[in-house]
Amino acid sequence: MTGNLITYDTVLEETRKAIAETLNIDLDRIKPDSSLIKDLGAESLDFLDINYRLEQRFGIKMARRFILEHVEEMIGEGTAVDDTGKLTDKAIALLKIRLGEKARDLKPGIYIDEVTSLITVESLAQGVMDILASIPERCSCGSSEWKIGEELQAVCSSCGEPAEYANGDDLIVQYIEKIQAEKRIF
Amino acid sequence: MEKPFKDKTALITGSSRGIGKAIARAMSCLGSNVIVNYTKQGGSSEQQAKALSAEIESLGCKSLIIRADISSRDEVKDMFSKITSSFDSLDFLILNAARAPFKPIEKLFERELRMLVEVNLFGNIYCFQQALPLLEKSQGRIVFISSLGSRFYNPSYPLGIMKSAMEAVIRDLSCSLSERGINANAVCGGIVKTDSFKVLRQVWEGIERIPDELIVEPEEIADTVTFLCSPQSRGIKGQTIVVDRGLSNRVYHF
Repeated sequence: MTGNLITYDTVLEETRKAIAETLNIDLDRIKPDSSLIKDLGAESLDFLDINYRLEQRFGIKMARRFILEHVEEMIGEGTAVDDTGKLTDKAIALLKIRLGEKARDLKPGIYIDEVTSLITVESLAQGVMDILASIPERCSCGSSEWKIGEELQAVCSSCGEPAEYANGDDLIVQYIEKIQAEKRIF
Repeated sequence: MEKPFKDKTALITGSSRGIGKAIARAMSCLGSNVIVNYTKQGGSSEQQAKALSAEIESLGCKSLIIRADISSRDEVKDMFSKITSSFDSLDFLILNAARAPFKPIEKLFERELRMLVEVNLFGNIYCFQQALPLLEKSQGRIVFISSLGSRFYNPSYPLGIMKSAMEAVIRDLSCSLSERGINANAVCGGIVKTDSFKVLRQVWEGIERIPDELIVEPEEIADTVTFLCSPQSRGIKGQTIVVDRGLSNRVYHF
């Protein structure tokens, strides 16, 4: 059985909890569309802590690096962010595809910080969902049945081994490769 | 008994969190006034700086919060004009602030390399240059917070380069400033469970296997800093004291 065993609502709830614990703020303040940086005051170190909590909870590996850093590693330094820290038109084109409506006001020449403030509770939860959706068709033992074991971690119904999800960075790399093949942005 | 640092004043850069916060607490417990410095406006650091400052004041010490990015020379100058207008002296300069990308050196972008040097080398030098006249007047102390990355390989830890460089700066200052009555030393921390540890944990597979008895508490670093600020450490000059619970001696362990 493939597809997510864990519902979006559960993931959203866990994401809110992880944020509340890291930032030491009331759960009520954390809305799906809250910007982690602008509305909730998160800083870069906080993101790593929130990610860590989600990783422990779901048995996954969240992306360590932001999409534009991956672009520069894959395609070359300066392709997404220029030497003054401003985003290139190509970077904006990619973000518009990736973020859709949320990126509608982005313009070339803005600083990278302005993009990271677009990260919301929902987008973080969606990142978790993307990783959870990568659950393999079969366990290495051959069984195709997964179940939710302790906490929220998927394990094989037959041998009990934890599911090996794709890691967040690999998914971003695959995404960039796909978009690049289709649209040749860079 | 009177507290040993009564009427003294300490500036601790990057003190809203982690080791800096523990140092701020320890200094104020000994009676020192504390200037709490953080960089980012409007975020969690600012909240933590406010809470810390209130805690220091509840101990009967003066506290001033100053937002300043030490990598900007202008912001450092502003910070020092605020200090001189609020306090009669500056006795201790604790260079604790640090900021760095966590990735292999080969993968650093130019802007990350610049940030690494601008915050962790230039920033510290700007701070002590501005502090010099004040420290000369108070016959004060400089303490730099280093880490084992200055001498051992840590995965994805380019900050180690700057820690080595700063330990060399401290050695230099202890000689070049000694005629003016200023002393400088460093404390080199092992693995400390602060917010930065959360980063290490994500780039360093297996760090969780290091036994708890080898994990340093921020307070243990802070206690060494207060010692290096006290008259009892007057014979120690230009040194880097390792506070790592013996981790760096335990090669056999792995």
